[in-house]
Amino acid sequence: MHAIANGLYSFCHWALESSFGHGVRDSVWLFPAIEICHLIGLAILGGTVLLIDFRLLGMRFQNEPVANLWRDVQPLMIGSIVVMLVSGFFLFSSEAVKMYGNAAFRLKMVSLLLAIIFTFTIHRQITLADETRYSPFWRKTAAVVSILLWAGVGIGGRAIGYV
Amino acid sequence: MHLFASFLQWLHDTSFSEYIRDSTYGEPVIESVHVLTLTLFLGFAVLLDLRLLGLVMRRKRASEVLAQFNPYLAGGFTIMVISGVLLFCGDPVNFYSTIFFKVKMIMLVLAGVNVLIFNTTIGRKVSEWDLSPNTPRGAKIAGIVSLVLWAAIVAAGRAIAYALPPP
Repeated sequence: MHAIANGLYSFCHWALESSFGHGVRDSVWLFPAIEICHLIGLAILGGTVLLIDFRLLGMRFQNEPVANLWRDVQPLMIGSIVVMLVSGFFLFSSEAVKMYGNAAFRLKMVSLLLAIIFTFTIHRQITLADETRYSPFWRKTAAVVSILLWAGVGIGGRAIGYV
Repeated sequence: MHLFASFLQWLHDTSFSEYIRDSTYGEPVIESVHVLTLTLFLGFAVLLDLRLLGLVMRRKRASEVLAQFNPYLAGGFTIMVISGVLLFCGDPVNFYSTIFFKVKMIMLVLAGVNVLIFNTTIGRKVSEWDLSPNTPRGAKIAGIVSLVLWAAIVAAGRAIAYALPPP
C-alpha cells in the first residue's frame, strides 16, 4: 500500500514538473481553454451514456434494440472518453501534487476507474446481449449503476475546486 | 439603461441574491447542477445535430430521433435556464459587467433562431428525407450552426467565471 502511494505521489510530482505541467500552469488562457474541451467532452460522453441507460430503463427508443443504439454511439462514447482523459490529464498536470491530496479528486479517480471498467465489461455485455438473455431487473440495475458511477465522476470533478 | 442598472443593483441587494452568493452550498450546488445538466441537454443536442448531418443513427428515422429526444432536450434546457438564472441572481451586477455574459446571451438567442428556422422550413418536411442516406443541405446547415453556437456558448459560459472578480 505504501509503495503504491509513493509511486502515485512520484507520478504527480513528475507531472507537475514536466514541460506540459509548467506550460499549462504558466499560461493565462491554456487552463480555461483545456477546461472548455473537457466540458464539451463531458456533454457528449454524458449524452451517449444517458441515451443507452435511458433505453435500458425503458424510457426511450422502445422499438429499437439497445445493441443497435450502443453500436451507433460507441465511436462517440469512446472518442469523448479519450478527449476527457487527455484534456483532464493536462489540467491535472498543472496542479498535480495539490490534486494528490484532494479528497474530491481521489473520489473522482476511483469512480472513473470503476465507471470505465463497468461500462466496457458488464454494461457492454448486457447491452449487446440478446434482449431476452438478461431480465429487465438486471438491465435496469446495470443502467442505474452506470449512471451512479458516472455521476460520481462528474460530482467529484465539480467538487475538486471547492474542497 | 439607468433603470436596468438600478434593477440589477436592487436584485443584488435582495436577501435571495445574498443567500446564493454567501451560503456555503448555494452557489456550488447550483453551478454543479448547471454544469452536469450539460450531459442531458447538450449531449442530446449534439447527438441530434450529428443525426442532422447524417453522421450517427443513420438507419433511424430523423423524425423519430427528433420526437424521442424532444422531451429530454426540453427538460434539460429548462434545468439549464433555471440554474443559470439562479447563478445570475447571485451576482447580477458583476455578471452583466462581463462581455462574455452578453456574448453568451446573444448566442443563446441565435441558437433559438436557428431552431425556429429549422422547425419552420426543412424540419417541417422531415418525413420527406426521414431515411435518405444524405440529409438535405438545410438540415446540415442547422446542425453545423447549432454545434458551433453551443461550443461557443459553453466557452463563453466558462469565461464568465474567469472574468468575475474573485469572491
